Amino acid sequence: MTPSTRTIWRQGLWANNAGLVQLLGLCPLLAVTATAVNGLGLGLATLFVLVASNLAVSSTRRMLKPEIRIPVFVLIIATLVTVVDLVMQAWFSSLSQTLGIFIPLIVTNCTILARAEAFASRQPAFESLVDGLAQGAGFALVLIALGAGREIIGHGTLMSDAHLLLGEWARVLEIRILPESMGLLLAILPPGAFIGLGLLVAIRNRLERDHRQPAPLTVDEAEPRPA
Amino acid sequence: MLKTLLTVGLIGLLAALLLAGVNELTRDRIELEQKRRALQTLSQLLDRDSYDNELVRDRFKTRIDGLEDPATIYRARLDGEPSALLADVTTDKGYSGDIRLLVAIDPSGKVIGVRVLNHRETPGLGDRIERRRSDWIDQFRGASLGQPSPEQWKADQRDGAFDTLASATITSSAVIQAVRDTLEWYESNRDSAFQRPAENP
Repeated sequence: MTPSTRTIWRQGLWANNAGLVQLLGLCPLLAVTATAVNGLGLGLATLFVLVASNLAVSSTRRMLKPEIRIPVFVLIIATLVTVVDLVMQAWFSSLSQTLGIFIPLIVTNCTILARAEAFASRQPAFESLVDGLAQGAGFALVLIALGAGREIIGHGTLMSDAHLLLGEWARVLEIRILPESMGLLLAILPPGAFIGLGLLVAIRNRLERDHRQPAPLTVDEAEPRPA
Repeated sequence: MLKTLLTVGLIGLLAALLLAGVNELTRDRIELEQKRRALQTLSQLLDRDSYDNELVRDRFKTRIDGLEDPATIYRARLDGEPSALLADVTTDKGYSGDIRLLVAIDPSGKVIGVRVLNHRETPGLGDRIERRRSDWIDQFRGASLGQPSPEQWKADQRDGAFDTLASATITSSAVIQAVRDTLEWYESNRDSAFQRPAENP
């Protein structure tokens, strides 16, 4: 059964978000999100690979026997990632220095193989394209949110180094929110990534619960229960 | 079975063709970018009119005691006369991983400047060795093996003459030691450093 476009978007951005619900692709998610721009860069690269791999997998799905499916998916994904890596080295070389090893490592981002296997290999090309966009956008938004939070708390800035990704005009995008001396180092270090992601997951779970149970609190819930 | 093999082969061939094409399209551009980055760092250290040779090609590889192998030495010349020497050196004595530095020395053995090319020191503490984060690295300008004296080539946290980055003594010491090692190498190779023929791959 083919889901509607609306459902696919809802799944990707919220209900089945790659970063917050499936908890896939955590290695790049945690490692590069020290700033919002890094998150945006890796998010866009992942989005592109996801859309292209979903399209390629979906359009070859009838040619593939089950036993060779996975190797072919891996081949397709690896090819696309190499293309992205080369293009970034050529046209966004400063950013590719910053993101470093994490561009080639998109190959191992299980989100992409998971979408190829769970969605694109069973659905028509258009829906697979939408799924790639939705899942990629969902993942990118988590990267940006985590990057922005860590950057504000750690450096006191937002969108610093935006010119590495968007060109010289983007220097004006940098905003200083807190004085530099107030930066909390922990937020930029690896533990900050885990704590930040944990908070994001908690916020999402909370919103989801409130959404599911719009009923006002009963007395029973408002009062602490006796143990 | 045969059909399966053919399918995989065909997809593999398509992937190879695509990659070859993209590689062809981006190769020149990537090379250009790398050269531009190298030159950008160079121009922070050397005035554009202080040399007229093709600096990037006038190089050789060597071993410097205390530093990782190999170090690459670039030579700047003006009208054929030595004007500066740039050492691309790597130290493993940093806090986390290697620190790669570019040390510019004038023919008399004085430091023109130092820049960090690559490192993985702690963000917010050790990364202030980068010029864009702080001017700490500028303190080497004008230093030489006599000035300060050799035993003073240490972080001030360790009773030396050089400023230490707060909470990054290991990082600071690694950079100071690397600059010192480079200067010592130059001191004992002063005669040959500008004479050796360039090695190009």
